[in-house]
Amino acid sequence: MSSEPIPPPLRYYGAGDPLGLEQIGEVWQRRELLFRFFQRDLLIRYRQVVVGILWVLVQPLLGALIFMGLFFVLGTKASGSNAAYPNVVLIGMLCWQLVSISLRDATGSLVNYRHVVTKIYFPRLLLPLAGLMCAVFDFLVGCTLLIPTLYLTGASVQWSTVWLCIPIIAWMILFCIGCIAWLSSLNALYRDVGYALPFALQLGMFVSPVVYDLERVSTSLGPHWQTLYEANPIASCISSLRWAILGTQPPSGLGLITSLLITAVLLFSGLAWFRVADRQLADRI
Amino acid sequence: MMQTVHLDNVSKRFRLGASNEYGRITEAIAGVFKRWVAPDLSLAHAGNGVPNSQIRDGWFWALDGLQLEVQQGEILGIVGKNGAGKSTLLKLLARIITPTTGRVGVRGRVGSLLEVGTGFHPELTGRENVYLNGSILGMSRRDIKARFDQIVDFAEIGPFLDTPVKRYSSGMAVRLAFSVAAYLEPDVLIVDEVLAVGDQAFQQKCILKAKELGEQGRTVLLVSHNLASVANLCTRAVYLREGRLILDSSPSTVIEEYLRSSVGVSGIKRWEQDDAPKSSRLRVREVSVQSSSDSDEARGEMDIDRPIRIAVAFEVLEDNAIVTSSLRLKDESAVNILWSTNATSMCQRPDPLYGKPLSKGLYQTACTLPSNFLNDSRYFISIALGEKPGDAEIELDSVLSFVVHDTGAMRKEYAGNWSGPIIRPRLDWYSQPMECPPSA
Repeated sequence: MSSEPIPPPLRYYGAGDPLGLEQIGEVWQRRELLFRFFQRDLLIRYRQVVVGILWVLVQPLLGALIFMGLFFVLGTKASGSNAAYPNVVLIGMLCWQLVSISLRDATGSLVNYRHVVTKIYFPRLLLPLAGLMCAVFDFLVGCTLLIPTLYLTGASVQWSTVWLCIPIIAWMILFCIGCIAWLSSLNALYRDVGYALPFALQLGMFVSPVVYDLERVSTSLGPHWQTLYEANPIASCISSLRWAILGTQPPSGLGLITSLLITAVLLFSGLAWFRVADRQLADRI
Repeated sequence: MMQTVHLDNVSKRFRLGASNEYGRITEAIAGVFKRWVAPDLSLAHAGNGVPNSQIRDGWFWALDGLQLEVQQGEILGIVGKNGAGKSTLLKLLARIITPTTGRVGVRGRVGSLLEVGTGFHPELTGRENVYLNGSILGMSRRDIKARFDQIVDFAEIGPFLDTPVKRYSSGMAVRLAFSVAAYLEPDVLIVDEVLAVGDQAFQQKCILKAKELGEQGRTVLLVSHNLASVANLCTRAVYLREGRLILDSSPSTVIEEYLRSSVGVSGIKRWEQDDAPKSSRLRVREVSVQSSSDSDEARGEMDIDRPIRIAVAFEVLEDNAIVTSSLRLKDESAVNILWSTNATSMCQRPDPLYGKPLSKGLYQTACTLPSNFLNDSRYFISIALGEKPGDAEIELDSVLSFVVHDTGAMRKEYAGNWSGPIIRPRLDWYSQPMECPPSA
């Protein structure tokens, strides 16, 4: 009997640290489950679907085509820069779909899987994160669309721009994590969030440079309003990404710092709040 | 012995009323306004006229100051009526909900099985669901891979492995789900009512599996309404009532106490018009048990050498109703002893009202158990009413109990121990000399 390994200590379930950073470690411990949830979401999304995984490409492409057609018919220019509009709108569309799909899927994730949440314990953050992973997967696959359009429009892209893009995309993902930590848990407690989200997303698409670009609005906004406009992390992310790939106008320094700060606040407050909400989730979901 | 589970003065309360009473911002505002207008409104509503020690200040205390320690290798059964706090206790242990006061401590990995097939997705194939479900339960990919073949064998689903679970029969889905859980090897396993699924053979398999886990030195906590499985499986049991721990002892003691305290012993159970168990056609008014020799007095104590008469009085609420009564007897560890109905082929003499359409009114059906039939013990009566034998339109489970006392009528020659056997009938014995030696 003495050769048996030392048993683990009696561990009391605690409240965790107030900042909720412990959750990151828990998520890492259960990364296999995170991957399973991601795999499940991916698999069931395209079961019984004829076009299958191609939908990932069709969605941003159609979105871009619609706005290209719309502005062609209207006869106005949505872009204030020299870059070709198809590239501008495609980058905008891809980024916007990353944000909107991850927020949409992750917000409902806890409620949709409440039969799991109320029956077994695992770090609840895994469910919204799996939704986010699906959106990131879509985004990365969708990015391959840029290769032919950039080539056809004759834009010159260096390999170094790829290295510039990585931190910008990471920033966008961190912003999404902050949002979904707030939204998914709030939606579990107050279903209103789920109803309000589509309207918020609709609004968000117009206050971010998705179908138009920063040059188009910067002159009419003026420097003060432009800073406020760029405080929206989505706006800064998309503008930065366009700047990295197409060499268009980057967001102003002040706007960039503000939006980075907002992202950080959102992320840490989101994690802290999620831990608070987590403790009453099963009772109130 | 090593302590693996510790509940230290644990309480859990829930808000009474709608679960989302504060689920909406508008309702939260309305709630503040209401309290301002009529401060004691919520209290009056919460009381609801029913005195209940678990309701205080608009909160329902599902568990109240629970103190419990479980040692390694123990299989602990948790018994109690619905709403006694059994499931709340398991959820606290599984970390699904957090206690209002006190703390919960567990040693090692916890596996909770509060439902069979948690997270099964109908669109995924059996194989994909095994991996998903296993991961949710806390197994690593390597663990699942190593046991994959055993899991599939145990579930007996062979050729359907790569078919979506939505095309499975419900039995197959349940078997697969249980198999995954059976190969989960946690230090502490928490099981709620799972053994109630599947057919008899599969339940047997599950019980064996749980026994095996206990022998491997794992701690098992089990909630079950099936008292027989608690009696067979557990090494210790606790009895919860209204959120409090009433008794912590051996399974047989706990089951006995649970049945005694929750079942009528007076020999008669009457209902008022409005709280009587009823269906659309029938209403039960009274169940009674009496010794057939006493003229009319219902009582819970019988002599072993007297016939026992069990009667149910019911009201027929619509004309032309056909009513069949059935009787089930169980012993103290909830083992079924007999089941009988008043169908003609099951009776010594035909029941005149069996299969006859009855008009509105009061009726009584009685069944008589022979004398010198049951042993010296306590028995529980369950009654069911329905249209055909086997129907249970109204089911009264363990509604009454009675004790059979040994009067010595069968003990003229033998004075030793007779406990153990459930029945003690007088049988036909006959000895005679044989004319030629056997197998000559």
